[in-house]
Amino acid sequence: MKALSLYQDNGTLIHRVDPISKLLYIAAAIFIPVVLTGFTAGLAMLGLSLMLLVLARVLRKVVPLIGFSMLVLISVVIIQGLFYAGNRQVMFALGGVHFYREGLLFSAAICVRVLNILCAFALLVLTTRPSDLIESLVRQGLSPHFGYVLSSVLQIIPQMTGTMETITDAQRSRGMETEGSLMVRLRAFLPLIGPVVMNSLVSTRERSLALEVRAFSSRAQKTFLNEERVSTSNRVIKIVLLAAMAAAVAWRVVS
Amino acid sequence: MKKIVVEGLKYRYPLTAELALNDVSFEIEKGEFIGIIGRNLAGKSTLCQALMGLVPHFYKGAYGGSVTVDGLNVAQTEICELARKVGLVFQNPFTQVSGSKMTVYEELAFGLENLGVPRAEMMPRIESAMALLGIERFGKRNPFDLSGGQMQRMAIASVIAMAPDIIVLDEPTSQLDPQGSEEVFQAIQALSRQGMTVIMVEHKMEKIARYSDRVMLLDHGRLVDFDTPERVFSRDDLAQYGIAAPIFARICQGLGIRTPQTGLYPMTLDDAYDQVVNWHE
Repeated sequence: MKALSLYQDNGTLIHRVDPISKLLYIAAAIFIPVVLTGFTAGLAMLGLSLMLLVLARVLRKVVPLIGFSMLVLISVVIIQGLFYAGNRQVMFALGGVHFYREGLLFSAAICVRVLNILCAFALLVLTTRPSDLIESLVRQGLSPHFGYVLSSVLQIIPQMTGTMETITDAQRSRGMETEGSLMVRLRAFLPLIGPVVMNSLVSTRERSLALEVRAFSSRAQKTFLNEERVSTSNRVIKIVLLAAMAAAVAWRVVS
Repeated sequence: MKKIVVEGLKYRYPLTAELALNDVSFEIEKGEFIGIIGRNLAGKSTLCQALMGLVPHFYKGAYGGSVTVDGLNVAQTEICELARKVGLVFQNPFTQVSGSKMTVYEELAFGLENLGVPRAEMMPRIESAMALLGIERFGKRNPFDLSGGQMQRMAIASVIAMAPDIIVLDEPTSQLDPQGSEEVFQAIQALSRQGMTVIMVEHKMEKIARYSDRVMLLDHGRLVDFDTPERVFSRDDLAQYGIAAPIFARICQGLGIRTPQTGLYPMTLDDAYDQVVNWHE
């Protein structure tokens, strides 16, 4: 079934790291380059993230994500290169348009930061089952109700798309035109969306009844089917990440 | 021991004028297998939900009389508390999938996690519920990838895994083929023999006649009759309530064959066969 998830089940070492460590890694990937200004830290984090993505064998899936963000980043480079407030020194000129050194450096820093965040998030999203992530957040104290909303959305939205397709087919089999010019599509919209909305209202009520029956609003201490993954290596990863963030702050204060 | 005591239950849904249940009173013993029959809108589903506390807690609306389940007054007990005693399976299996779990096995664990059942106890419960409903081989499948019938079995198994004392089933075999519904009925009969109280709404009269200890006939929110299948299905006025007796009873009625001891029509294939053979000799 198509679920709303980018998860790639490759079963590598990275996949076995617990989701909370990965969240902490995102925090570190954002925090360290911000604390240690300059390019080195940012590029180092970016390099690390890319290496981990290769290890998890998901680098191929990151390329389209980066490609999409490139659109925004290129416009940042152009605008900052041309109009950054501190622009003094001309770097090069393209057909009479001058690009300035300060603006280009500034935009490069932004690019590194964005790619950094993107890769760190990609590491979490591509190598963690969404249900595992939510489960470990609930263990850490996230409300189970909120956790349920997050995890059910991932499965129920594709189901609603499926219902939409069924209803479209049903209406078409009764002779409704749903394809063609804009006007035809607009006319088809109401008779399609009506049943879809009614259908989801009814099934939402039924589902909430079914959830109540299965003690969803119980105040008992929730238990979990899956065992919590408490391994030494996961603890070491967390400690290393926290230590790295602390070291970055210390370095910044001292130097 | 009285498991369920309903006294003068009246209920009206919000924004409606008619009573969905009108002065319904009955008692059910522990371990009984009760069939509920009646035409559409007779109040069958409302009655099921009243046993679970969804009526009145979920819907609100006007409520009168009392429902006592295992000593708990439903009107004063929260649904999640009743969920430990009563399990309810709805008609539409699709909307009973929680949607937050990726496999059938985890889906069965959903209710147990909410109840706070320890992990070690969960697995044997889930496995025996899956075995009872014959869905072991789907354990790793996504719940939404199952067929309607398999989903229906999963919905029943998810409630059985919660080990309620009382299970209420609202047309649990609507999506199943004849063989599938027979298997589900036998699974539920097995639970009933272990002492679980079973209450089932069903339109398949032959099955109700064969498996129920007593049959409850509802019409327009009123309890018309609550008696053994033989007595209920031998009534002359069934058609008036939109009910047709099991086919075997109707054949014997047409032939004028009654079980001599009781003066009622035979209900099951075997009984009917015996009586027809006797009559012929």
